[in-house]
Amino acid sequence: MVRYVPLVLALLAAIFLVAPMAIIVPMSFSKAISFEFPPPGYWTGYYAQYFSSHSWLEATANSFIIASGSMALTLIAALPAAFGFVRHRFYGKSVLNLVMLVPIIVPAVVSALGYYSFLSPLRLVGTHAGMILAHSVLSIPVAFLVITAALKGFDRNLERAAMSAGAGPLRTFLWVTMPVLRPGILIGALFAFLHSFNEAVVAIFIAGRDASTLPKKMFESIRLESDPVIAVVSTLLTGAVLLGVLLSLFVRKRPASR
Amino acid sequence: MAYLRLRQLVKSYDGKSNAVDRVSIDVERGEFITLLGPSGSGKTTTLLMIAGFETPTSGGIELDGRNLVARKPYERNVGMVFQNYALFPHMTATNNVLFPLKMRGFPKHEIGARAEQMLGLVGLRRFADRYPRELSGGQQQRVALARGLVFNPDVLLLDEPLGALDKNLREQMQVELKRIHREVGITMIYVTHDQTEAMTMSDRIAVFCNGKLEQVGSPLDVYNRPANRFVGEFVGDSNFFAGRADPARPGWIQLSGLGPVRIAGDLPAGEVDVMIRPERLRLQRPDEGDGMDNLIDLIVDDTINYGDSVLVIGKTRGLPLRARLSSKDGAALGPGAALPLAWAPADAHVLARR
Repeated sequence: MVRYVPLVLALLAAIFLVAPMAIIVPMSFSKAISFEFPPPGYWTGYYAQYFSSHSWLEATANSFIIASGSMALTLIAALPAAFGFVRHRFYGKSVLNLVMLVPIIVPAVVSALGYYSFLSPLRLVGTHAGMILAHSVLSIPVAFLVITAALKGFDRNLERAAMSAGAGPLRTFLWVTMPVLRPGILIGALFAFLHSFNEAVVAIFIAGRDASTLPKKMFESIRLESDPVIAVVSTLLTGAVLLGVLLSLFVRKRPASR
Repeated sequence: MAYLRLRQLVKSYDGKSNAVDRVSIDVERGEFITLLGPSGSGKTTTLLMIAGFETPTSGGIELDGRNLVARKPYERNVGMVFQNYALFPHMTATNNVLFPLKMRGFPKHEIGARAEQMLGLVGLRRFADRYPRELSGGQQQRVALARGLVFNPDVLLLDEPLGALDKNLREQMQVELKRIHREVGITMIYVTHDQTEAMTMSDRIAVFCNGKLEQVGSPLDVYNRPANRFVGEFVGDSNFFAGRADPARPGWIQLSGLGPVRIAGDLPAGEVDVMIRPERLRLQRPDEGDGMDNLIDLIVDDTINYGDSVLVIGKTRGLPLRARLSSKDGAALGPGAALPLAWAPADAHVLARR
């Protein structure tokens, strides 16, 4: 009996994780005018509505633009910062390390308010740039932590070996340092993208109309319309993430089989 | 003139003490030279300066008459092998070996054959497509060796390359390394703290202590005629006795606590240290010797049986003494046993007290 306990626990956990999707996916094909489960009938009308709605498509595009921008900015800031912190000694290092991590501690609503009053005199509220900046503030410390950990475990003799093989600093970085650190950097990048893609609180405060993202649009839709298009968006997003995970698994298998 | 010259090399990290202190060595082309010393003796720092990863505080490094110090590591034609292999984990064995050829711009049509030939030299042609994580420690170090040699460097530097391997594999790799050195004929500088490794592999040994070069010489030179007490104690097992040369009795030295002993060769005057290797002491037999031998009694404290020999640890008139006897002579010695030993006047090495 006892040996089945882990299996049962695992099954329960899986059900718990999948259950919401088991409700959302059928609901996205529902005929009901509002949320209703089980659905009274099925059609794909809400999918048509999503793909023909300017505001939903714009929010989707905004989300991708802002998430990509935030990912890029995060890497641009976190990579050099991690190298600086791990490889150099300087005055005030431990204090600065703490400052780097403050955005993780501050509650989202508080920082959202802060972004609003900071970005409005710069006329950045309601712009993509403003959203990218605000979202990066939180993903930079997380990416910094991940990349720092990877860099601390990096064997510097690899760089020495590359240099004695005739590679200058740039080629050493491109052909040895970066590929070895790639997992850490990818995780940092992925976090930055997903954080920005999912973030609702800051978006509600500063996205405005022009830079409205999917989470903000979904939140408004729930509050104002309770319209099953949300179920459609959720289903599409889950499908996209699933596809991405499967693809990355497939890609990772490749080099080992060579 | 020597091929590689280290001249008055100094490295100081803090400006006060020297990690490497005025080291000068001349290395001949094709030589296998070992930098030997305890950890922190400056041998690795010296190696890193030759590779270009450390900048000398003062002094010069010349290769074939050209100054090396001003050149970056990747501008020097120097290969390096590390203790932890430092293979690129995201590349196969072949790609690891190809890397220096690509970086140094060897002609494209030539590099494939070159890498293959190098992997053949280290006996790894079958594993060419494996990733480092799919290879054993010994195999990884062979790949690293191939990577360090493939671009035909002027000098190959080896930083304790066998340190991470177990004993049997280490001995096997020592033989392999010597063979490869003979076949490629490249100048090799080998860093180790293992005196057996240094003895068995090197053309010459440079002994380091506290950043200073204590002695450079052939393995037998260093072993039989150490320049000072540190070298004598670090390389091999040894007995040291304090003594005094008496100008009135040439050929004799008065050992303190032990009395006069006969010593062959020219002797320094005044206070001296006399070194006798444990294996030079032998069991005294009544019908042996030419009557010139010095006699010494060993009271046994302990024995260590190595199978092929026995190390007897004990005292002679209160002074510590070790003797290495054949397993036949050393068998069945218990604590407290008294052992009459003899050594020839030519078997001792005398050092003037500094």
